[in-house]
Amino acid sequence: MGKAEGRRLPLLGALSKGRGAGDVWFLAGVVSLAALGVLFVYSASFYSAEVQYGDKFYFLKKQLLGFILGLAAMLLLSRLDFSRWKRPGLPALLIALVLLAAVLIPGVGQTHYGATRWIGVGPVSVQPSELTKFAFVLFAAGYFAKDPSRPRSFKGILPVLGAGIAVCALILLEPNLSVTMVTAALLFGMLFLAGTPLKTLALLLLPVLLALPVLILMEPYRLRRFTAFLDPWSSPQDEGYQLIQSLYALANGNLFGVGLFNSRQKFRFLPFAESDFILAVIAEETGFFGVLCLFALIGFVVFRGFRIAARANTYFEFLLVSGVMFAFAVQAALNALVVSGCVPPTGLPLPLISAGNTSLIVTMAGMGAVWGVSRRGRPS
Amino acid sequence: MRKANVSLTVLRKRLFAVILAITFLFCLFLARFAYVQLVWERELTARAVGQWTRELPVVPERGNIYDTNGELLAGNATAYTLYARANAVENAEETAKTLASLLPLDYDTLVEKLNDHTRSEIVLLRKTAKETAAAVEGTGLKGVYYARDNLRIYPYGALASQVLGFVSSDGAGLTGIEKGYDSFLAGTKGEILYETDLVGAEIGEGAYYIPAEDGLSLTLTLDVRIQSLAEEVMARALEEHQAKAARCIVLDPNDFSILAMVNLPSYDLNDIPRGDTAQLNLLSRNAAVSDVYEPGSTFKIVTAAANIEEYLRGNAAFSPERVFSSSRTRNVEGSVIRCWSDHKNGKHANLTLQAALNNSCNPCFVDIVLALGRETFYDYLEKFNFGKATGIDFAGEAVGMLLPEATLKNSDLARIGFGQSIAVTPLQLACAAAAAVNGGYYYAPRLVESISSESGAVYAAFSKRLLGRTVSEETSRILNEMLEGVVTNGSGSKAYVEGLRVAGKTGTAQKYENGKIAAGKYVSSFVGYFPADAPRYLALVIVDEPQGSYYGSTVAAPCAGELFGGIARLENIGEGSI
Repeated sequence: MGKAEGRRLPLLGALSKGRGAGDVWFLAGVVSLAALGVLFVYSASFYSAEVQYGDKFYFLKKQLLGFILGLAAMLLLSRLDFSRWKRPGLPALLIALVLLAAVLIPGVGQTHYGATRWIGVGPVSVQPSELTKFAFVLFAAGYFAKDPSRPRSFKGILPVLGAGIAVCALILLEPNLSVTMVTAALLFGMLFLAGTPLKTLALLLLPVLLALPVLILMEPYRLRRFTAFLDPWSSPQDEGYQLIQSLYALANGNLFGVGLFNSRQKFRFLPFAESDFILAVIAEETGFFGVLCLFALIGFVVFRGFRIAARANTYFEFLLVSGVMFAFAVQAALNALVVSGCVPPTGLPLPLISAGNTSLIVTMAGMGAVWGVSRRGRPS
Repeated sequence: MRKANVSLTVLRKRLFAVILAITFLFCLFLARFAYVQLVWERELTARAVGQWTRELPVVPERGNIYDTNGELLAGNATAYTLYARANAVENAEETAKTLASLLPLDYDTLVEKLNDHTRSEIVLLRKTAKETAAAVEGTGLKGVYYARDNLRIYPYGALASQVLGFVSSDGAGLTGIEKGYDSFLAGTKGEILYETDLVGAEIGEGAYYIPAEDGLSLTLTLDVRIQSLAEEVMARALEEHQAKAARCIVLDPNDFSILAMVNLPSYDLNDIPRGDTAQLNLLSRNAAVSDVYEPGSTFKIVTAAANIEEYLRGNAAFSPERVFSSSRTRNVEGSVIRCWSDHKNGKHANLTLQAALNNSCNPCFVDIVLALGRETFYDYLEKFNFGKATGIDFAGEAVGMLLPEATLKNSDLARIGFGQSIAVTPLQLACAAAAAVNGGYYYAPRLVESISSESGAVYAAFSKRLLGRTVSEETSRILNEMLEGVVTNGSGSKAYVEGLRVAGKTGTAQKYENGKIAAGKYVSSFVGYFPADAPRYLALVIVDEPQGSYYGSTVAAPCAGELFGGIARLENIGEGSI
């Protein structure tokens, strides 16, 4: 926090001209991914958009708006020097928690597909669980950075643990098991990256592993989905349907795909083709080769992100960057596992790619924060 | 970097561990993608293809059925079926309005059908004319399709209806030849495949056409001219005697091809009484093949043939000159068997075999079978194919009822000698008679001559097939002389036709109901053929339960006479041709 800089009002100062280009490769990777997302959202949705909304550009327009807003958010956050902004994490976390709780208030929350995950403000609907991940990273990083000895004691990690559990519990109530899982993974990831002793982590992990089967058994639909995932053809019309359609898309793609815009499965066979299952459409249109290239790009972004973390000036920046990148990588991996039928289908977008503006803008904002750190970090 | 109390090494290690874990995770699902997309791909795609297309059937044209002279017995009128696919219809109300003006369907029904999203395809109208289908196509309406369909037509209506059989509303053979040869007649369905989305709305313009393969045509051994003639004759008999049923089989004794097969009452194949199932089952039954009856005296042909053959071989049998006892009764192991005639006033006195046949005297044939013995006589029953199927190419053939040889009582053997205590199908009797008079050859009877494509390529041709010998040529010759005598001098005189050498044998059997003789219920029959020296046409005529006169000689024989006269005129045989 002691970097010598001219004394400016933090916000205005951040918006003034930059301090170097930072990791341009990282920036290019992120923007490319988001742009690819726009392209594939269009490809995956033009038919269903035409049928449902009478406008084949319906989802494309929304995604383009999200992309532009995301770019703005990215630029904005890249210029905010969080190190200089006193404890931004706590208010962010509190806002996130309030929004998460608001989802559960009847009349405020919007229910789609049997889960209440959105808050509607006029024509705009926001998915608070997407905001929460970033808020949590911000909070945990800020909290640990205040006193770097905190991760070493159980008492020290308690507030982070409590915040994480509260967030998980609220998301679980929506219900949204997959985002809960990502958040839980993020909680442990943050603790691990912060340097919490392995013994403590192991003690914490044990009850979570025990709780998982209970959570699955609690809601009957989860168990059905779980068994359907083991043999989707046992219930091809119900629980197994989504997975079967996703596997058909993958199979149809083969090595080099059927070509851009040529997916057969997007003709309403594959549910959520433009959002949670966009990877299946990409796999169908560009083949395994395309999937490999996409994840090479995602892997590259993740690697550059962790590189930025390693070169961060402060402990806070290290935690912030690695936390954002960890959440991104874990979510991308979990989405790929769902689409390829390795874990039961859950509602989880592929970050930066899937349709869904909250997710896109928040993810890009987070990436903006990471890029901002690279601009202030050690020269390479 | 200010990292008080935090070891830089620990953080680096932790970061490295996280990178490793994520790399592992990435490799894990990428391997899974490779497996699904490159290995499992073939099986999954095969499953997926089915859901990407919707099919409209292309109905093959069902094969025709012809008589032996190439006369059409069953054919098709081309019709069209109109389908709608609700999910592909653009505006149900507009479409319904247009269609209502073209089709005999009202607007409300159409709207309802066009809005039925529960099914993929909905039939709007079956069996409609080509002009209607073309008019609908001309409107260019989306979501409405037509496919060719077949409407089975039978140019001769009720003619040979039980033999030909009929098809279901979707063209599958249900009875008769239509059913038995369905696999040849049906052909193979084709398809028009449309690429559609999940709910069946068409995407793109492409449709794949898989052509149908038309069915093969059959040529029967039936001769429409003879069949028509036989139906006319039997219809008159049915009417005249107010009988329950009238049946007739005409076959060629030289190869056992069936020239006519009549079962009356009948029904029009173009107007099938589908509403009344019991009635339809009864009317559509080919009783000549599927039902049994007690043949009575016509069976004496077989007994006589066996006797002559055994006599010629020098075995225990009666010579043609031998005179039978004139007594009316025979006592067989305590069972008294009487002749139908009272033997008074010199009737049935001092009969030879020829006279026994002429007068149809039962006791004489009792003497014959008892002389031949059970074993020998059963050998002949075996040779004449009683108690087993003749092997005709028609489904549902009955085998008849033959008392088992091992436990047979002599009193039963004696009755079988004159056609009682045995049940046969009309076909079995006609074939046995033919095999006795044609030189002693038993062929497999058949209805189908050949199977060929409409373009004329012959798929299969069936020629005569010898199943076995019955008696010698000499026996057959002697029998022919005797049976000609029955028509010229005996009970078969009403079958006589001027200028033709007709031979035959009458039969009158009492019907049994629930194991007892049914009073007043008879089966009158006559089996005859011409020319007697070289049989070309053999007919079995059966009148079931005639009212009033019931003797085979007075009810059935005249039918045979009419029939033979008619055939002779058709074929220019006899008087007219000379």
